[in-house]
Amino acid sequence: MWCYEKRLQYPVKIAKTCPQTAKLIITQYGGPDGELSASMRYLAQRYSMPVKAVGGLLTDIGTEELGHMEIICAMVYQLTKNLSEEEVVDAGFAPYYVDHTAALWPQAAAGVPFTSLEFQSKGDALTDLHENLAAEQKARTVYENLLRVIHEPDVREPLKFLRAREVVHFQRFGEALEMTKEKLDEKNFYYFNAEFDKQFLKK
Amino acid sequence: MLKQTSSLAIASVPVQEWDEVYTPEKSLCEGTIFPNLNLPFYKADDGGSCAAETDPAARDLFQISCIGFMINDLTLYLDTHPDCPKGQSLYRKLLQERLNQLSEFAHSHYPLTQSSIVTGNCAEQKYCWDEGPAPWEGGNI
Repeated sequence: MWCYEKRLQYPVKIAKTCPQTAKLIITQYGGPDGELSASMRYLAQRYSMPVKAVGGLLTDIGTEELGHMEIICAMVYQLTKNLSEEEVVDAGFAPYYVDHTAALWPQAAAGVPFTSLEFQSKGDALTDLHENLAAEQKARTVYENLLRVIHEPDVREPLKFLRAREVVHFQRFGEALEMTKEKLDEKNFYYFNAEFDKQFLKK
Repeated sequence: MLKQTSSLAIASVPVQEWDEVYTPEKSLCEGTIFPNLNLPFYKADDGGSCAAETDPAARDLFQISCIGFMINDLTLYLDTHPDCPKGQSLYRKLLQERLNQLSEFAHSHYPLTQSSIVTGNCAEQKYCWDEGPAPWEGGNI
């Protein structure tokens, strides 16, 4: 069960309409390394995690990612608010506009729609935790690429915050991997699949 | 206490040790409560600069966001360090502060959560979605 709190995790106050910037940032909503993908990845993986605390961590990070999705959507929304028809055309925003006007729809920067093909839930705790470590790194790179090309301070501040969260989440998934190793055969971590061959797990 | 193992053919990350945390405002601006996890990117290494609020409701909301964020970050730390006494004691202190803030905010402005309708002693006609701006309505109004 989730409870909603009527605020963003990090405030978003963007003064100027800028559909060009919105077109880039939307990738962190529905793109391959976006927040929606991150949240769905962690919330899907948690059910079959063999270590209870790791399932808990996936729930907490998956929940935080939903909050990050909301931050990104608020940014796109504010960047496309009060759009004029001229701005739609001049900014190259028309292809998105004809399908969605100024509404939110999860897609990557180049227009590829959101898809669960971008993430995995593999049913092997070691595999999934390595996937999550990589996912946090990929999202960090995207935020850094955005920070290289976007110069408005009121857009950069939330992006810097979101980038910092990727670094912290990487650390936590690393620790989750260490917690999982404690339940495995220390001579050969690959001797069995911790999610399937549960009879071998250390108590 | 969780220990890091080091073996061939598998990733391994050192387990974080407790670090004295930033102030609530600095925590939100930097994106972590922990100085030892604050690793900025050189193209954006000018520190965080959360805008100072002048409107009373926005100022109070910012304080709620600062404490709320400290709890978010500390929650993840405790998920992998459940037996850290310093973390646990800070967690309890922040959770209490957050409850007080949510009640006061509901009482002075509008409720942010369903339960703060009751704890903030809100007038009967005050319902969550009717009052205050939507969270995504920040600027450019």
